[in-house]
Amino acid sequence: MTDTDQCTTLSRRDWVRAGCLSALGLGLLDHFDLPTADANAASFSKRINPKAKACILIWLDGGPTHLETFDPKPNAPDEVRGPMGTTSTSLSGVRINECFQNTSKLMNKLAIIRSMTSPLGEHNFGTHYLMTGYKPSPALNYPAYGATLAHVRKQVGVLPPNIAIPKFTRNISGSGYLARSTGPFSLGGDPARGNFKVQNLDFHEGLNLDRIGRRRNFSDAIDQFSRKLDASRWSPNNPNLERAYNLIASPQAKKAFDLSDEPQKIRQRYGFGNTIGQSCLLARRLVQSGVPFVTVNSTGWDTHQDLSQLKSRFPNDKNALLPALDRGFSALITDLSENGMLDETLVVVMGEFGRTPKINVAGGRDHWPNVFSVLLTGGGIQGGQIVGRSDALGEYPQDNPVTPADLATTIYSLLGVDPATQLPTGDGRTVRVASEEAKILSDLVS
Amino acid sequence: MRRVIIPFAFYFFVLIINTPTALSIDKPSAILFRNKNTTTIADRPITFKNDVMPVFTKSGCNAGSCHGAAVGRGGFQLSLYGSNPDADYKAIVHQLGGRRINLSQPKKSLLFAKPTEFVEHGGGTRFAARDESAHLLLNWIEQGAKFGSDHHFVKLVISPKNHQFNASGESVKLKATAYFSNQTSKDVTKWTSFTPEDVSAIDVDDQTAKVTAHRRGRHIVVARFLSAVVPVELLVPMNDQRFPVQQQRLTNFIDTEILKRLETLNLPVSPLIDDAAYLRRLTLDLTGRLPSHSSLDRHLADTHPGKRKRVVKDLLSSDEFTEYWTLVLAKLLRIHVPNKEKAGALAYHRWLFEQVRKGTSFDKLVRTILLAEGDTTINGPANFYLTTNGPRQQGELFSEVLMGSRLRCANCHDHPLDRWTQDDYHGLAAIFSKIEIGQIIKTKTDGEVVHPRTSEPARQRIPGVRDLPIDSITGRADLADWLTDKTNPYFAKAIVNRLWRKLLGRGLVEPPDDFRSTNPATHPELLNRLAQDFINHGYDIRHTIELIVTSTTYARTAHANQYNKHDDRFYSHAIRRPLEAEVLADAISSVTGVWEPYGQQPVGTRAVALADSKTPSMTLDVLGRCGRDISCESLVDSVDSLGQTLHFFNGSILNKRIHLVDNRLGKMLKKGNTPIKIIEDFYVIALSRKPTNNEREYWMLQLKDLTSTNEQRQLLEDFLWGLVNSQEFKTNH
Repeated sequence: MTDTDQCTTLSRRDWVRAGCLSALGLGLLDHFDLPTADANAASFSKRINPKAKACILIWLDGGPTHLETFDPKPNAPDEVRGPMGTTSTSLSGVRINECFQNTSKLMNKLAIIRSMTSPLGEHNFGTHYLMTGYKPSPALNYPAYGATLAHVRKQVGVLPPNIAIPKFTRNISGSGYLARSTGPFSLGGDPARGNFKVQNLDFHEGLNLDRIGRRRNFSDAIDQFSRKLDASRWSPNNPNLERAYNLIASPQAKKAFDLSDEPQKIRQRYGFGNTIGQSCLLARRLVQSGVPFVTVNSTGWDTHQDLSQLKSRFPNDKNALLPALDRGFSALITDLSENGMLDETLVVVMGEFGRTPKINVAGGRDHWPNVFSVLLTGGGIQGGQIVGRSDALGEYPQDNPVTPADLATTIYSLLGVDPATQLPTGDGRTVRVASEEAKILSDLVS
Repeated sequence: MRRVIIPFAFYFFVLIINTPTALSIDKPSAILFRNKNTTTIADRPITFKNDVMPVFTKSGCNAGSCHGAAVGRGGFQLSLYGSNPDADYKAIVHQLGGRRINLSQPKKSLLFAKPTEFVEHGGGTRFAARDESAHLLLNWIEQGAKFGSDHHFVKLVISPKNHQFNASGESVKLKATAYFSNQTSKDVTKWTSFTPEDVSAIDVDDQTAKVTAHRRGRHIVVARFLSAVVPVELLVPMNDQRFPVQQQRLTNFIDTEILKRLETLNLPVSPLIDDAAYLRRLTLDLTGRLPSHSSLDRHLADTHPGKRKRVVKDLLSSDEFTEYWTLVLAKLLRIHVPNKEKAGALAYHRWLFEQVRKGTSFDKLVRTILLAEGDTTINGPANFYLTTNGPRQQGELFSEVLMGSRLRCANCHDHPLDRWTQDDYHGLAAIFSKIEIGQIIKTKTDGEVVHPRTSEPARQRIPGVRDLPIDSITGRADLADWLTDKTNPYFAKAIVNRLWRKLLGRGLVEPPDDFRSTNPATHPELLNRLAQDFINHGYDIRHTIELIVTSTTYARTAHANQYNKHDDRFYSHAIRRPLEAEVLADAISSVTGVWEPYGQQPVGTRAVALADSKTPSMTLDVLGRCGRDISCESLVDSVDSLGQTLHFFNGSILNKRIHLVDNRLGKMLKKGNTPIKIIEDFYVIALSRKPTNNEREYWMLQLKDLTSTNEQRQLLEDFLWGLVNSQEFKTNH
């Protein structure tokens, strides 16, 4: 470490500039070859050569069962093993849930962490921890991945840098202490519906761009006059006015949202009528258009009752959550791979916690944060491996416990965001992007 | 971190021979343990309850992530933070064939060998063999592993309990003293854990309990010893400069308490608002409406010195107040239509409206709800029992709404940061299990809930107070008596805190359903006084609202200055509050002069008056209304989202109203008003103020080159759009 002083003064603007270079293809990473702010950051630059330009988070809202997804226990007693079988994968000796027929063939590209552990078994708390890398605190509301990325990266084009399909989880706000405008833009509708469209991008009858622009200016003007006397940090201008205007004004933006632009064959690959699938396809389009963070939010994973519903809700059900996820996720990975985008797109599949190893009286599983699984692929992940193990009954980590904070440190590093970067909280202090006590999971990195 | 490094060679040696059955560590340990500096504890009897349990808590053994988990860890279960000493004693002394303690060879006890890692321990080394913790455990086993003594722990006192620093970077040493039933006390600082709420603001030295503040503001450190949790409040002034408050006007005790706090924190106050701004704020708060043009003119023309008090009285007795505060209370009580059966919810809403109109005292209102029986389609308050899906959820609703406490944490384990136990949680649910749920609500004898610890029916219980007789069918009445008793510590505070929050933008306790000793009020004395005053005035919400809105504190501007701009909780300036969905919808309708039909309701019905929280309305959906099937207080705030802005630009809510030919704008034009006059009038209608000279100039400039009436109308439409999208319009400030 040399020239520390110079680097501790690395300002937000410098970071933005670094992000900007990245947009030009130079990569934020080059920046880390310069002397960096502290020892952690220095080790970060040596250990990681970030490749991911974007991240797609497939969020399984409610807390997906680890036993019926990526960490089955086929040899455990009935009450733990559960109602479903397993399938072998392209990785010898590794089995995953029987519904993951397509995913199992991609296992050589995937990494599964089976030793995730957290003490927080409540939806809001768990979501906060998994999506921000920090345990919730009464003193500070932390930003989720997408918001941090929206903050440190310079926005390329007019598409919002942080998008949620169909909408963001209701458990947390997403932007935390960062500006509200870093929060996820929820598209609203279900992309699996035939008439899906992002609402209100086309002019209302009688309007045109000039008038929309004038309206924006007038609104700004009124607020600027009325807030002249106020010294608070609260910005007088509603940043959404500008962002919404830019979206409306851009034909390219509208095109990025337009799924009908995809060939039927591709749409079919992701599964017609499959909400996760079509959301994944839209996520791919958005990433292709330069959006750095897309959350595909799948609901219904809070399975307190009848686990078999995850597999099939009625005869010939193709779009129950597990097969739908299998189809959508495997299509996404295949598609990204064929388009040459997988190396620079990090894909993460997770939820806020796992579920009780022992099946409850209602045939479901309750909340269980002590051990659960997270799947990662693309964007610098070394595929074809299992990181950590849970114990025989899927109750606790058997070895190599990984905290959500460790995961955050790793995800940020893969995305080229130095975990030691200081973010402004708005009340005059700065906070690290990821917790100082967390470690980078170097096994995961290719 | 308290880790003592064991000499490496020795550690290695132990690793080779460490099996539970062949622990031959007597010799080296003898050297380690007879360290004169630390071995003074054996001089007195060591008991499990008073001495050993604190070691577990301090070392994290009984935390939720370790043996304190609901199913224990590694086959060894302790109660969360030591809430159940009897069970913990059993687990240690009697389980696992007695291997956890070994009376003849104490050092072979797993209880000693595991945390010191003489035997491999999943939780790592909790303390070294020569630590006082280890000594204490050994001494206890040597003395025969006794459970308790004739005296028990009574309370924990931390000194100082409050501390004011002069600047950040300063430190203070905390001292924890435990008091026992035999009138003795003991310094337990070493066995007390101190956890700051904000780890980036406060450092705690684990060894010495020295706390250092790194940030300005008010910080809480939670001290935990045995079953006691005690908050310590630390203050660092927000500015170095002092701002005396003697010159400030005091209207009532609210101002006294608020200014006291501001002075200690070196926070200057913002100035008071003018009459027009006061009337806007007040009218929105009391009626959910903007002040009308005429009421504003009247108020401004009034020269009486007591005119603000008068307008408060007028508004409090208005029908608009009844209408709006019915909505406020309906949100609190989560009145909604379950299962599409509307009749009940409508009856409930109608009944509530009537109570607000009559000014029924709040204790009586709540008693009526709790004791309600009969046909829910007729007897409105009986629908309280249809609000949730079962006795446990009903207990949670009861505790959150009426006690301001989250008993739900005590479902699976005793509440780690509060007094609530599983017995309280399931005991409260047991009371509600004695109610037959359906269209007809009535008391029944056979209901029960199963206590997860015993797998037996839970005993009905007034939370935190007493068990009720087995098979009692008067549980609800007992509960209502207890809750609405003048000495009840929760009820009045929970209500006045919500009134305060509604009117000032932030609760004295936040979130408002999370009262506990470890989440103290920002202004504890103010909360006490407000609650006492509420009780003294017959639980009359109008009285407390009047007290608050006539205070000087309520009448400060929202404009911050450079010294108080970081204040978000001490009320040195008003907090800007976004208008809630229903109020904003009505305000938009009212300003544009175009009302939206809601469901089957007659056109002109206000959104705030809708009894059914799910009346189909895209407007209310876009504006982010609360459906009330879950708490409206925990709703993640969705206003001002990009999607909403897109809708305002291109969706129908605004555009339809603004473009309609004979909307308010159209009528103004038809009357032959000049464009600048129209703009001025809209300022008054929407913002309750005239444009300033600068603003007027700006608009004159915009209007300058317009020739056709069509161009003029379009510009005015765009002005109107800008107006209702301004933050000044969309917030109460």
